Amino acid sequence: MTASKPALSRDQLVRYSRHIMLKEFGVGGQERLLASRVLLIGLGGLGSPASMYLAAAGVGEMVLVDFDRVELSNLQRQIVHGTSDIKRPKVQSARDRLLAMNPDVRLTTWEKALDERELIDQAAAADVVVDCSDNFATRFAINAACVQTGTPLVSAAAIRFDAQVAVFMNRGDGGCYRCLYDDAATGQETCAANGVASPLLGIIGSVQAMEAMKILAGVGPGLDGRLLILDGLRMEWNAIHLRRDPGCPVCGDRPSAHAS
Amino acid sequence: MLAGSAAPTEAMPRMKVTFKLYATLSGYLPGGARDHQIEAEVAAGTTPNEVIDSHGVPRRLAHLVVLNGVYVPPSERDRAILRDGDTLAVWPPVAGG
Repeated sequence: MTASKPALSRDQLVRYSRHIMLKEFGVGGQERLLASRVLLIGLGGLGSPASMYLAAAGVGEMVLVDFDRVELSNLQRQIVHGTSDIKRPKVQSARDRLLAMNPDVRLTTWEKALDERELIDQAAAADVVVDCSDNFATRFAINAACVQTGTPLVSAAAIRFDAQVAVFMNRGDGGCYRCLYDDAATGQETCAANGVASPLLGIIGSVQAMEAMKILAGVGPGLDGRLLILDGLRMEWNAIHLRRDPGCPVCGDRPSAHAS
Repeated sequence: MLAGSAAPTEAMPRMKVTFKLYATLSGYLPGGARDHQIEAEVAAGTTPNEVIDSHGVPRRLAHLVVLNGVYVPPSERDRAILRDGDTLAVWPPVAGG
């Protein structure tokens, strides 16, 4: 982890007591979480619950990235923002809410889309990247940065009643997000045009927070190597075992120099 | 290969495959399909992409192709990897957040 191991204060021992009493977690797990750094991109439907659970759980440092501002139509599902935040930058709105939840967390905000160099630098500085973005171009860029820097990526997406979530540890053996999605994924659908069920984002964003937290605390085998797909209408889960695509332009046998 | 894509003979072996289409792709299943799926009888040697094509599913929408619960990368979808009794499932791309 990136920071030196802190000693827990009396308040922290109380605040995180329900983690600490988990035998898989303990004081050590909480200390690792408090010493960790997360890069979270997108403070919309997925980023709202993901950032709130990670902040409440005691992640030490979070870097929040989003160029967008809060709109009225966001509030049905983007629960980190409130009605009084309309027209405010999402990173500022989220910052206020997360600090109110847990002043332990150190927050850095980027009110812009990161360019390639910034993305690589931020991914390299993070222990886990949580992708809560809403388009393939951003997802491909985030994945390329995570593969290049060997940073674990917790990725999720949702639309209508359907959602997906996966973990790519990027150790060089298990494939990456780009193995799942190729260049044909361009005519994408948006939640703005097609709708999305509000609690679906809560479910999947919470899975992202759960998996990120476990990676940071060193707890559990986790979701690595599987993709969970949720049909929220039927409330059916499918688990797919992932494989590396030897033809992947990012992590395959012959990666392209500038593939993202 | 599909039954209609090569000259069928009496000796050509057939196999049964459970074909599942999820989310917005379920509309490509024939009427009467239940629980996202049909039982398809295809010629031995039929590839995943041939099954997808034969149901009119645009390949750009057939993003997650899964054989018996294991992801099939794009580079393997034109290979004769289907066996009698297999389950082939397909999901569309999802990027929203």
